[in-house]
Amino acid sequence: MIEAICNAIQLILTGACTVISLLFAFRSKARVWLLLALFSGVFFLGDLYWYLFLVFYQKTPQYSYVSDLSWDAAYLFLFLLLIQVRNVRIMPYRMMRQRKKMWAIPAFTACMCIFFMQWGDYINNIATAVLMTGLLLYSFDGIIAQNNGNGNDGRFRMLYIATLVFCFSEYIMWLFSCFWMGDTLANPYFWFDILLSGTFILFPVALRKGVQA
Amino acid sequence: MSYIENIYVCLAAPLLIAAICMRGKGMRMMMFLLGGMTMCLLSSYISTFIAAAVGVDLLSASLEIAPVTEEIMKFLPVLFYLLVFEPGKPEIADGVLMTAVGFATFENACYLTNNGADHIIHLLVRGFGTGAMHVVCGFLIAAGLIILWDRIWLRAAGTVGLLSFSMTYHGVYNILVSQSGTPAMTGYIIPVLTVIITIIFGRDLYPKEI
Repeated sequence: MIEAICNAIQLILTGACTVISLLFAFRSKARVWLLLALFSGVFFLGDLYWYLFLVFYQKTPQYSYVSDLSWDAAYLFLFLLLIQVRNVRIMPYRMMRQRKKMWAIPAFTACMCIFFMQWGDYINNIATAVLMTGLLLYSFDGIIAQNNGNGNDGRFRMLYIATLVFCFSEYIMWLFSCFWMGDTLANPYFWFDILLSGTFILFPVALRKGVQA
Repeated sequence: MSYIENIYVCLAAPLLIAAICMRGKGMRMMMFLLGGMTMCLLSSYISTFIAAAVGVDLLSASLEIAPVTEEIMKFLPVLFYLLVFEPGKPEIADGVLMTAVGFATFENACYLTNNGADHIIHLLVRGFGTGAMHVVCGFLIAAGLIILWDRIWLRAAGTVGLLSFSMTYHGVYNILVSQSGTPAMTGYIIPVLTVIITIIFGRDLYPKEI
Protein backbone atom coordinates (compact mmCIF):
# COMPACT_ATOMS: atom_id res chain seq x y z
CA MET A 1 0.00 0.00 0.00
CA ILE A 2 2.74 2.44 1.02
CA GLU A 3 4.69 1.51 -2.09
CA ALA A 4 1.69 2.30 -4.27
CA ILE A 5 1.24 5.67 -2.53
CA CYS A 6 4.94 6.52 -2.91
CA ASN A 7 4.82 5.54 -6.58
CA ALA A 8 1.74 7.68 -7.10
CA ILE A 9 3.40 10.68 -5.38
CA GLN A 10 6.50 10.26 -7.53
CA LEU A 11 4.40 9.98 -10.69
CA ILE A 12 2.51 13.16 -9.84
CA LEU A 13 5.66 15.14 -8.99
CA THR A 14 7.71 13.95 -11.98
CA GLY A 15 4.70 14.62 -14.22
CA ALA A 16 4.30 18.10 -12.72
CA CYS A 17 8.02 18.79 -13.20
CA THR A 18 7.75 17.72 -16.85
CA VAL A 19 4.75 19.94 -17.52
CA ILE A 20 6.32 22.95 -15.75
CA SER A 21 9.61 22.49 -17.63
CA LEU A 22 7.79 22.15 -20.96
CA LEU A 23 5.84 25.33 -20.26
CA PHE A 24 9.07 27.22 -19.51
CA ALA A 25 10.71 25.65 -22.57
CA PHE A 26 7.72 26.77 -24.62
CA ARG A 27 7.99 30.32 -23.29
CA SER A 28 11.73 30.83 -23.19
CA LYS A 29 12.84 28.38 -25.92
CA ALA A 30 15.89 27.67 -23.78
CA ARG A 31 17.63 24.32 -24.20
CA VAL A 32 18.10 23.90 -20.44
CA TRP A 33 14.35 23.74 -19.90
CA LEU A 34 13.98 21.13 -22.63
CA LEU A 35 16.71 19.08 -20.98
CA LEU A 36 14.97 19.33 -17.62
CA ALA A 37 11.70 18.29 -19.29
CA LEU A 38 13.45 15.30 -20.86
CA PHE A 39 15.04 14.36 -17.51
CA SER A 40 11.77 14.42 -15.61
CA GLY A 41 9.73 13.11 -18.55
CA VAL A 42 11.81 10.00 -19.06
CA PHE A 43 11.94 9.40 -15.29
CA PHE A 44 8.13 9.73 -15.25
CA LEU A 45 7.76 7.21 -18.08
CA GLY A 46 10.07 4.73 -16.32
CA ASP A 47 7.99 5.06 -13.15
CA LEU A 48 4.76 4.75 -15.14
CA TYR A 49 5.96 1.57 -16.86
CA TRP A 50 6.88 0.06 -13.47
CA TYR A 51 3.61 1.19 -11.87
CA LEU A 52 1.41 -0.10 -14.73
CA PHE A 53 3.20 -3.43 -14.65
CA LEU A 54 2.49 -3.68 -10.90
CA VAL A 55 -1.14 -2.68 -11.32
CA PHE A 56 -1.99 -4.96 -14.27
CA TYR A 57 0.18 -7.98 -13.48
CA GLN A 58 0.64 -7.71 -9.66
CA LYS A 59 4.40 -8.20 -10.02
CA THR A 60 7.45 -6.22 -11.01
CA PRO A 61 8.96 -6.79 -14.48
CA GLN A 62 11.08 -9.94 -14.60
CA TYR A 63 13.60 -8.21 -16.87
CA SER A 64 13.55 -4.54 -15.97
CA TYR A 65 15.47 -3.35 -19.05
CA VAL A 66 12.84 -0.79 -20.04
CA SER A 67 12.62 0.94 -16.65
CA ASP A 68 16.36 0.72 -16.03
CA LEU A 69 17.10 2.23 -19.42
CA SER A 70 14.67 5.06 -18.80
CA TRP A 71 16.16 5.89 -15.40
CA ASP A 72 19.67 5.79 -16.84
CA ALA A 73 18.49 8.07 -19.64
CA ALA A 74 17.10 10.43 -16.99
CA TYR A 75 20.53 10.61 -15.30
CA LEU A 76 22.07 11.24 -18.71
CA PHE A 77 19.75 14.16 -19.43
CA LEU A 78 20.43 15.64 -15.99
CA PHE A 79 24.15 15.29 -16.68
CA LEU A 80 23.72 17.06 -20.05
CA LEU A 81 21.79 19.79 -18.24
CA LEU A 82 24.64 20.29 -15.76
CA ILE A 83 27.11 20.48 -18.64
CA GLN A 84 24.88 23.02 -20.38
CA VAL A 85 24.64 25.36 -17.38
CA ARG A 86 28.41 25.36 -16.71
CA ASN A 87 30.20 28.37 -18.16
CA VAL A 88 33.51 26.57 -18.39
CA ARG A 89 33.37 23.18 -20.07
CA ILE A 90 35.87 20.92 -18.37
CA MET A 91 36.15 17.17 -18.54
CA PRO A 92 35.70 15.02 -15.42
CA TYR A 93 39.33 13.82 -15.40
CA ARG A 94 40.54 17.44 -15.36
CA MET A 95 38.29 18.14 -12.37
CA MET A 96 39.87 15.26 -10.53
CA ARG A 97 43.38 16.33 -11.52
CA GLN A 98 42.74 19.84 -10.21
CA ARG A 99 41.17 18.67 -6.97
CA LYS A 100 42.59 15.46 -5.59
CA LYS A 101 39.71 14.99 -3.15
CA MET A 102 37.39 14.54 -6.14
CA TRP A 103 38.84 11.04 -6.54
CA ALA A 104 36.63 10.06 -3.61
CA ILE A 105 33.58 10.31 -5.91
CA PRO A 106 34.54 7.67 -8.50
CA ALA A 107 35.93 5.53 -5.66
CA PHE A 108 32.55 5.75 -3.88
CA THR A 109 30.47 5.02 -6.99
CA ALA A 110 32.78 2.14 -8.01
CA CYS A 111 32.47 0.54 -4.55
CA MET A 112 28.69 0.93 -4.63
CA CYS A 113 28.58 -0.48 -8.15
CA ILE A 114 30.49 -3.60 -7.10
CA PHE A 115 28.27 -3.95 -4.05
CA PHE A 116 25.02 -3.65 -6.05
CA MET A 117 26.26 -6.16 -8.63
CA GLN A 118 25.33 -8.86 -6.09
CA TRP A 119 21.69 -8.14 -6.93
CA GLY A 120 21.44 -6.36 -10.28
CA ASP A 121 22.96 -7.07 -13.67
CA TYR A 122 26.49 -5.91 -14.43
CA ILE A 123 25.93 -3.68 -17.44
CA ASN A 124 23.16 -1.62 -15.90
CA ASN A 125 25.10 -1.20 -12.66
CA ILE A 126 28.16 0.02 -14.55
CA ALA A 127 26.10 2.44 -16.65
CA THR A 128 24.39 3.82 -13.54
CA ALA A 129 27.72 4.19 -11.72
CA VAL A 130 29.28 6.08 -14.64
CA LEU A 131 26.34 8.47 -14.89
CA MET A 132 26.16 8.99 -11.13
CA THR A 133 29.90 9.72 -11.09
CA GLY A 134 29.35 12.40 -13.72
CA LEU A 135 26.45 13.93 -11.82
CA LEU A 136 28.28 13.98 -8.48
CA LEU A 137 31.49 15.33 -10.02
CA TYR A 138 29.76 18.16 -11.86
CA SER A 139 27.62 19.07 -8.84
CA PHE A 140 30.51 19.13 -6.35
CA ASP A 141 32.79 20.90 -8.80
CA GLY A 142 30.07 23.43 -9.57
CA ILE A 143 29.61 24.26 -5.90
CA ILE A 144 33.36 24.49 -5.27
CA ALA A 145 33.87 26.64 -8.36
CA GLN A 146 31.14 29.00 -7.22
CA ASN A 147 32.62 29.18 -3.71
CA ASN A 148 35.92 30.18 -5.34
CA GLY A 149 34.12 32.81 -7.39
CA ASN A 150 34.76 31.34 -10.84
CA GLY A 151 31.57 29.67 -11.89
CA ASN A 152 28.22 31.25 -12.81
CA ASP A 153 28.33 33.65 -9.81
CA GLY A 154 26.38 31.27 -7.61
CA ARG A 155 23.40 31.25 -9.95
CA PHE A 156 23.08 27.49 -10.21
CA ARG A 157 24.10 26.57 -6.65
CA MET A 158 20.57 25.40 -5.86
CA LEU A 159 20.53 23.22 -8.98
CA TYR A 160 23.78 21.55 -7.92
CA ILE A 161 22.42 21.01 -4.40
CA ALA A 162 19.20 19.53 -5.82
CA THR A 163 21.30 17.17 -7.95
CA LEU A 164 23.33 16.08 -4.92
CA VAL A 165 20.16 15.45 -2.89
CA PHE A 166 18.75 13.48 -5.83
CA CYS A 167 21.88 11.33 -6.22
CA PHE A 168 22.34 10.58 -2.53
CA SER A 169 18.62 9.82 -2.11
CA GLU A 170 18.96 7.28 -4.92
CA TYR A 171 22.00 5.66 -3.32
CA ILE A 172 20.42 5.53 0.13
CA MET A 173 17.22 4.06 -1.33
CA TRP A 174 19.15 1.38 -3.20
CA LEU A 175 21.09 0.54 -0.05
CA PHE A 176 17.95 0.23 2.07
CA SER A 177 16.25 -1.88 -0.60
CA CYS A 178 19.08 -4.43 -0.19
CA PHE A 179 18.59 -4.89 3.55
CA TRP A 180 15.15 -3.67 4.49
CA MET A 181 11.98 -5.32 3.25
CA GLY A 182 8.40 -4.53 4.15
CA ASP A 183 5.63 -2.39 2.80
CA THR A 184 5.22 -0.12 5.84
CA LEU A 185 6.20 3.44 6.57
CA ALA A 186 8.76 2.11 9.08
CA ASN A 187 10.90 1.12 6.11
CA PRO A 188 13.39 4.01 5.59
CA TYR A 189 13.38 3.26 1.85
CA PHE A 190 10.07 5.08 1.55
CA TRP A 191 11.31 8.16 3.43
CA PHE A 192 14.06 8.65 0.89
CA ASP A 193 11.70 7.77 -1.95
CA ILE A 194 9.54 10.71 -0.91
CA LEU A 195 12.65 12.92 -0.56
CA LEU A 196 13.67 11.90 -4.09
CA SER A 197 10.20 12.74 -5.37
CA GLY A 198 10.46 16.12 -3.63
CA THR A 199 13.59 17.02 -5.59
CA PHE A 200 11.48 17.07 -8.76
CA ILE A 201 9.76 20.17 -7.43
CA LEU A 202 13.12 21.63 -6.42
CA PHE A 203 14.66 21.24 -9.91
CA PRO A 204 12.39 23.70 -11.80
CA VAL A 205 12.65 26.21 -8.95
CA ALA A 206 16.45 25.89 -8.91
CA LEU A 207 16.75 26.18 -12.68
CA ARG A 208 14.44 29.16 -12.85
CA LYS A 209 16.49 30.89 -10.18
CA GLY A 210 19.67 30.15 -12.09
CA VAL A 211 18.37 31.23 -15.49
CA GLN A 212 16.75 34.43 -14.17
CA ALA A 213 19.77 35.65 -12.19
CA MET B 1 0.45 -19.97 -37.50
CA SER B 2 1.34 -17.17 -39.86
CA TYR B 3 4.55 -16.94 -41.85
CA ILE B 4 5.56 -13.34 -41.50
CA GLU B 5 8.34 -13.68 -44.06
CA ASN B 6 5.66 -14.53 -46.66
CA ILE B 7 3.73 -11.40 -45.74
CA TYR B 8 6.99 -9.49 -45.93
CA VAL B 9 7.69 -10.75 -49.46
CA CYS B 10 4.19 -9.74 -50.61
CA LEU B 11 4.49 -6.25 -49.17
CA ALA B 12 8.14 -5.61 -49.93
CA ALA B 13 8.20 -6.76 -53.58
CA PRO B 14 6.15 -3.86 -55.03
CA LEU B 15 8.03 -1.38 -52.85
CA LEU B 16 11.36 -2.71 -54.05
CA ILE B 17 10.28 -2.45 -57.69
CA ALA B 18 9.05 1.08 -57.06
CA ALA B 19 12.35 1.97 -55.39
CA ILE B 20 14.33 0.64 -58.36
CA CYS B 21 12.18 2.60 -60.82
CA MET B 22 12.27 5.85 -58.86
CA ARG B 23 15.06 8.38 -58.51
CA GLY B 24 16.13 10.94 -55.90
CA LYS B 25 13.92 11.63 -52.91
CA GLY B 26 11.21 9.18 -54.00
CA MET B 27 13.66 6.30 -54.10
CA ARG B 28 15.09 7.29 -50.72
CA MET B 29 11.63 7.32 -49.16
CA MET B 30 10.80 3.90 -50.63
CA MET B 31 14.05 2.49 -49.31
CA PHE B 32 13.31 3.79 -45.80
CA LEU B 33 9.81 2.33 -45.97
CA LEU B 34 11.30 -0.98 -47.02
CA GLY B 35 13.98 -0.63 -44.32
CA GLY B 36 11.29 -0.11 -41.68
CA MET B 37 9.47 -3.27 -42.78
CA THR B 38 12.70 -5.27 -42.86
CA MET B 39 13.61 -4.09 -39.38
CA CYS B 40 10.15 -5.10 -38.12
CA LEU B 41 10.68 -8.60 -39.53
CA LEU B 42 14.17 -8.86 -38.03
CA SER B 43 13.14 -7.47 -34.64
CA SER B 44 10.37 -10.07 -34.52
CA TYR B 45 12.99 -12.80 -35.02
CA ILE B 46 15.35 -11.27 -32.46
CA SER B 47 12.64 -10.77 -29.82
CA THR B 48 11.47 -14.35 -30.29
CA PHE B 49 15.05 -15.62 -30.03
CA ILE B 50 15.77 -13.62 -26.86
CA ALA B 51 12.46 -14.72 -25.32
CA ALA B 52 13.31 -18.35 -26.02
CA ALA B 53 16.88 -17.92 -24.76
CA VAL B 54 15.88 -16.39 -21.43
CA GLY B 55 12.74 -18.50 -21.14
CA VAL B 56 9.91 -15.97 -21.00
CA ASP B 57 6.43 -16.32 -22.45
CA LEU B 58 5.16 -14.32 -25.42
CA LEU B 59 3.32 -11.74 -23.30
CA SER B 60 6.38 -10.95 -21.18
CA ALA B 61 8.46 -10.80 -24.35
CA SER B 62 6.10 -8.26 -25.91
CA LEU B 63 6.09 -6.14 -22.74
CA GLU B 64 9.72 -6.35 -21.64
CA ILE B 65 11.88 -7.34 -24.60
CA ALA B 66 10.09 -6.14 -27.76
CA PRO B 67 10.17 -2.39 -26.92
CA VAL B 68 13.95 -2.46 -26.53
CA THR B 69 14.60 -4.62 -29.61
CA GLU B 70 12.15 -2.81 -31.87
CA GLU B 71 13.38 0.70 -31.07
CA ILE B 72 17.02 -0.26 -31.55
CA MET B 73 16.28 -2.05 -34.83
CA LYS B 74 14.15 0.84 -36.08
CA PHE B 75 17.04 3.21 -35.51
CA LEU B 76 19.59 1.12 -37.44
CA PRO B 77 18.62 2.12 -41.04
CA VAL B 78 18.77 5.80 -40.05
CA LEU B 79 22.08 5.29 -38.26
CA PHE B 80 23.50 3.65 -41.39
CA TYR B 81 22.19 6.52 -43.52
CA LEU B 82 23.67 9.08 -41.13
CA LEU B 83 27.10 7.48 -40.96
CA VAL B 84 27.48 6.59 -44.65
CA PHE B 85 25.73 9.43 -46.50
CA GLU B 86 26.05 12.31 -43.97
CA PRO B 87 22.68 13.80 -44.99
CA GLY B 88 21.15 17.18 -44.14
CA LYS B 89 18.65 17.69 -41.34
CA PRO B 90 15.42 17.45 -43.42
CA GLU B 91 16.60 14.17 -44.98
CA ILE B 92 17.26 12.72 -41.50
CA ALA B 93 13.75 13.63 -40.30
CA ASP B 94 12.13 12.15 -43.42
CA GLY B 95 14.20 8.99 -43.07
CA VAL B 96 13.32 8.46 -39.41
CA LEU B 97 9.61 9.00 -40.02
CA MET B 98 9.44 6.78 -43.12
CA THR B 99 11.25 3.97 -41.30
CA ALA B 100 8.73 4.26 -38.47
CA VAL B 101 5.84 4.21 -40.95
CA GLY B 102 7.24 1.11 -42.69
CA PHE B 103 7.68 -0.60 -39.35
CA ALA B 104 4.11 0.20 -38.25
CA THR B 105 2.64 -0.86 -41.60
CA PHE B 106 4.28 -4.27 -41.48
CA GLU B 107 3.32 -4.74 -37.83
CA ASN B 108 -0.31 -3.92 -38.64
CA ALA B 109 -0.30 -6.30 -41.63
CA CYS B 110 0.97 -9.13 -39.39
CA TYR B 111 -1.65 -8.24 -36.76
CA LEU B 112 -4.38 -8.45 -39.42
CA THR B 113 -3.35 -11.90 -40.60
CA ASN B 114 -3.28 -13.18 -37.01
CA ASN B 115 -6.47 -11.57 -35.73
CA GLY B 116 -8.66 -11.16 -38.80
CA ALA B 117 -10.14 -8.04 -40.34
CA ASP B 118 -13.67 -8.31 -38.98
CA HIS B 119 -13.87 -5.30 -36.67
CA ILE B 120 -13.35 -2.12 -38.61
CA ILE B 121 -13.66 0.21 -35.59
CA HIS B 122 -11.06 -1.73 -33.60
CA LEU B 123 -8.73 -1.89 -36.61
CA LEU B 124 -9.19 1.82 -37.23
CA VAL B 125 -8.25 2.64 -33.63
CA ARG B 126 -5.40 0.15 -33.61
CA GLY B 127 -4.12 1.28 -37.00
CA PHE B 128 -3.94 4.91 -35.97
CA GLY B 129 -2.68 4.05 -32.47
CA THR B 130 0.20 1.82 -33.59
CA GLY B 131 1.07 4.10 -36.49
CA ALA B 132 1.10 7.14 -34.23
CA MET B 133 3.13 5.35 -31.56
CA HIS B 134 5.89 4.37 -33.99
CA VAL B 135 5.89 7.85 -35.52
CA VAL B 136 6.14 9.46 -32.06
CA CYS B 137 9.07 7.20 -31.15
CA GLY B 138 10.76 8.03 -34.45
CA PHE B 139 10.04 11.72 -34.02
CA LEU B 140 11.64 11.74 -30.57
CA ILE B 141 14.91 10.50 -32.03
CA ALA B 142 14.68 12.77 -35.08
CA ALA B 143 14.03 15.79 -32.85
CA GLY B 144 17.14 15.01 -30.85
CA LEU B 145 19.27 14.57 -33.94
CA ILE B 146 18.00 17.70 -35.65
CA ILE B 147 16.98 20.20 -33.01
CA LEU B 148 18.50 19.57 -29.64
CA TRP B 149 22.19 18.89 -29.96
CA ASP B 150 24.73 21.00 -31.78
CA ARG B 151 27.92 19.13 -30.89
CA ILE B 152 28.67 15.65 -32.10
CA TRP B 153 29.32 14.13 -28.64
CA LEU B 154 26.16 15.75 -27.29
CA ARG B 155 24.29 14.36 -30.29
CA ALA B 156 25.57 10.85 -29.58
CA ALA B 157 24.77 10.98 -25.85
CA GLY B 158 21.43 12.68 -26.42
CA THR B 159 20.40 10.17 -29.08
CA VAL B 160 21.10 7.29 -26.68
CA GLY B 161 18.94 9.07 -24.08
CA LEU B 162 16.12 9.68 -26.54
CA LEU B 163 16.32 6.09 -27.77
CA SER B 164 15.74 5.00 -24.16
CA PHE B 165 12.89 7.53 -23.95
CA SER B 166 11.22 6.01 -27.01
CA MET B 167 11.73 2.47 -25.66
CA THR B 168 9.94 3.40 -22.44
CA TYR B 169 7.15 5.15 -24.33
CA HIS B 170 6.79 2.01 -26.47
CA GLY B 171 6.84 -0.18 -23.33
CA VAL B 172 4.06 1.83 -21.66
CA TYR B 173 2.02 1.62 -24.89
CA ASN B 174 2.49 -2.16 -25.07
CA ILE B 175 1.39 -2.63 -21.44
CA LEU B 176 -1.74 -0.56 -21.97
CA VAL B 177 -2.80 -2.20 -25.24
CA SER B 178 -2.17 -5.68 -23.82
CA GLN B 179 -5.22 -5.04 -21.62
CA SER B 180 -8.80 -4.73 -22.78
CA GLY B 181 -11.38 -1.98 -22.47
CA THR B 182 -10.41 1.43 -21.13
CA PRO B 183 -6.67 0.82 -20.58
CA ALA B 184 -6.29 -0.43 -24.17
CA MET B 185 -8.28 2.48 -25.55
CA THR B 186 -6.14 4.88 -23.47
CA GLY B 187 -3.05 3.20 -24.89
CA TYR B 188 -4.26 3.73 -28.45
CA ILE B 189 -5.35 7.32 -27.87
CA ILE B 190 -2.17 8.58 -26.11
CA PRO B 191 0.10 8.36 -29.21
CA VAL B 192 -2.54 10.01 -31.41
CA LEU B 193 -2.85 12.85 -28.88
CA THR B 194 0.95 13.12 -28.71
CA VAL B 195 1.12 13.49 -32.48
CA ILE B 196 -1.58 16.19 -32.47
CA ILE B 197 0.10 18.11 -29.63
CA THR B 198 3.49 17.81 -31.34
CA ILE B 199 2.09 19.13 -34.61
CA ILE B 200 0.47 22.10 -32.85
CA PHE B 201 3.23 23.04 -30.40
CA GLY B 202 6.34 21.25 -31.66
CA ARG B 203 7.77 24.16 -33.65
CA ASP B 204 7.43 26.56 -30.73
CA LEU B 205 9.76 24.36 -28.68
CA TYR B 206 12.64 24.86 -31.11
CA PRO B 207 15.43 26.01 -28.77
CA LYS B 208 17.47 29.20 -29.18
CA GLU B 209 20.10 28.92 -26.47
CA ILE B 210 20.56 28.31 -22.74
